[in-house]
Amino acid sequence: MTQLDVRGASSAAAGVPQPPPEDRAEQALRYRKARSVMAEQGLDALIAFAPGWRRENVRYLSDAPVNGTLALVVLPAGGDPYAFSTRAADLAAIRSRGWVHDAQLLDFPDCATLSGRLRDQGVQRVGIAHLELLPLAVAEALRKGLPGTEIVSATALLDDLRLVKSDWELAQMRRSATVCAAGWQAFVDVLEPGLEEYRIVAAVESEIKRLGAENNFMLIASGGDEVMGMTPPGRRVLQSGDMVRTELTPQMNGYWLQICRSAVVGRASDGQKRSFDLFNEAVEAGLSVIRPGVTAHEVAVAENDVFRRHGYGEYCTAQYTRVRGHGHGLHLDETPIIEGNHTVLPEKAVFIVHPNTYTPLAGYHVLGDPVVVTSTGHEVLIETERKLFEAGVAA
Amino acid sequence: MKRGLVVMDPAEIPGTEWTDRVRRLQERMSAEGLSLALVYGDVFRSDDIGYLTNLCIYWNEGIVAVPAEGEPAFLTKLSPRVHPWMKATSTVADLRSGKSFSQLTAGLVEGREPGVIGLVDAALWPATVVEQVTGAAPAWEVRLLGGIVREQRLVPSAAELALLRDGARSLGRAMDQATGSGGQPAEAVAVLEGEVRSAGFTDLMTEVSRTSDGVVSLEVTGEYRHGWLHAGRILDPSSPEPHWLPTLRAGFEAAVGAVDGAARFSDVTAAAEAVLGDLPADAAWYVRCVNQADMATNGEYESVSPTTPLPDGAVVVVGIEVVFADGGRAAVAETVLVGPHGAERIAVSGQPAPTDLEEASA
Repeated sequence: MTQLDVRGASSAAAGVPQPPPEDRAEQALRYRKARSVMAEQGLDALIAFAPGWRRENVRYLSDAPVNGTLALVVLPAGGDPYAFSTRAADLAAIRSRGWVHDAQLLDFPDCATLSGRLRDQGVQRVGIAHLELLPLAVAEALRKGLPGTEIVSATALLDDLRLVKSDWELAQMRRSATVCAAGWQAFVDVLEPGLEEYRIVAAVESEIKRLGAENNFMLIASGGDEVMGMTPPGRRVLQSGDMVRTELTPQMNGYWLQICRSAVVGRASDGQKRSFDLFNEAVEAGLSVIRPGVTAHEVAVAENDVFRRHGYGEYCTAQYTRVRGHGHGLHLDETPIIEGNHTVLPEKAVFIVHPNTYTPLAGYHVLGDPVVVTSTGHEVLIETERKLFEAGVAA
Repeated sequence: MKRGLVVMDPAEIPGTEWTDRVRRLQERMSAEGLSLALVYGDVFRSDDIGYLTNLCIYWNEGIVAVPAEGEPAFLTKLSPRVHPWMKATSTVADLRSGKSFSQLTAGLVEGREPGVIGLVDAALWPATVVEQVTGAAPAWEVRLLGGIVREQRLVPSAAELALLRDGARSLGRAMDQATGSGGQPAEAVAVLEGEVRSAGFTDLMTEVSRTSDGVVSLEVTGEYRHGWLHAGRILDPSSPEPHWLPTLRAGFEAAVGAVDGAARFSDVTAAAEAVLGDLPADAAWYVRCVNQADMATNGEYESVSPTTPLPDGAVVVVGIEVVFADGGRAAVAETVLVGPHGAERIAVSGQPAPTDLEEASA
């Protein structure tokens, strides 16, 4: 049951805010790149479509944090962009960023206003990023509202555009990096025997939100060598000697960045120390091959070879793990760093190197650093020491 | 994002209630001639799946397949490595991982006599997934259904209402702390995150809004188990407070005051409208009344006629937001239980809960 009634002024459109020059330059850069590819692909319009869990492309074209169940930005081949959202509060948020001034409520499920505008613009071929996630109701509404218009996926188009970060974006991601570090410190500080897993998350979330994080993706696991993977937190109570692992991924100004670390409640065992040494060697190996033009496959091979060399190669398979890292940006889990993925990672691509997996040494272990590819190699974006942390133990 | 406590606790929802939820769906399926019902969910909207199985889709997408007879199965593109955790926190024993929903659907129908597959709330499924399912079961009739699981969730059971009350009390206390802290909005959000997640919420979303004359609103939406709660309050306004703020408050009180088991949405709107006309001419306002069962999407997928009655025993969010021409925004909201004689605000702390939950529930 949703009953929304709108009264009052017919339009509460904001004025026309002007973003700072550096933001305007970033907007111009993105639109220029997008329109260049649109021209190559014969697209009259590009729609960044955002279901509730994939909003990166709307952010990319509007710089606006949206919360609507459905939101989208239309970038025509010529003319000004415009946006729709199912949430009224998003409209002011979009306008206030100053990139997209024209924002309206989306009349779900009919989407007649959207179809009408595209039709009026004479759009013959439109690309939709995340077409694969477009609800059936919207897909049918567009098909009926745009007879004769060819609708194609533009998911890869925008994924490719977002792969290489601008200096403006890297500045945002460095802010995320400081929150990663603070979040990890809060994580270690709260660890003690008797604490339930979910209270660890509460402490971390409180700290990173205090610092301005918009969101966070976080998985956790606690226990000994029986731990096989990462999950949301439960009621498990920490015990002395537990290793507590987390992938912590705060989002600042739209940009996600991840830190992977493990900490022991109390003194680390020999097995935990050996496990750390193995994973640290794998991280180092992954980092060592990074240069402009390296492929995701090559980074993954470098990490996995360390495990193979030490006799743990079987633990690099899908039975025990997923990826050896992944890209970061406006989405938290971009191109996977995995053997067989030959995506080229150019200068200014950002990703995390994390050889996270299970081994019998100490159970599932997570360790990883986010990096940006530089002209000569890489730069690690976080300053948190890469070590096996021991919570509650005096340094 | 769903990164808070995920738990399956028989003390909260007894096993018989889980069985009954699936049985009610199967009875509906039988009446409609369905052999299989498929329920789609993703990390953003998965309450139907949570309701049927307690599965938490903490990432990506999944489909629960309910046969006309027998136990549900879960189809996921996540790795089998998550199965032990999912089994431990759900009622589902049959978990199937695959690279695509095409592959998973083909495996699901293999060996079954072809019949009718119903896609629950099909309009909200990704069209591509509908195509994949349809293509993987060529001998089957695929029927697009409405929200037949959602309909079961609209009025909470006694156990569900007890959980909603638990969560509401925690949320109310946290809101009191956050809004009374006198600190910056980020500090208030930090207090909310710490308190509400420590109380065992699975998901939490906060939003801070401002107006140009110094009014700051704090809204929080939280998922406790698979129920949703929401509150929106004004942080300490500037002094003297703007002339429109008492009007907003009065409009909100009028809206809540109009809620009862005999009310229609238009009654709630009319009550607010009688007061909100005094807001500045350049302001737009929105009155909303959203069932907690729809709060994962803020109710944006559902619309009903203004003349539809509010279900007696439902838990709903009543709220008003005001948007000014300069982009400023303010919002107040509360979660209330619709009773025969009025609304009970369940997210306000310090309010004694009825001891007889049976009586309070539908």
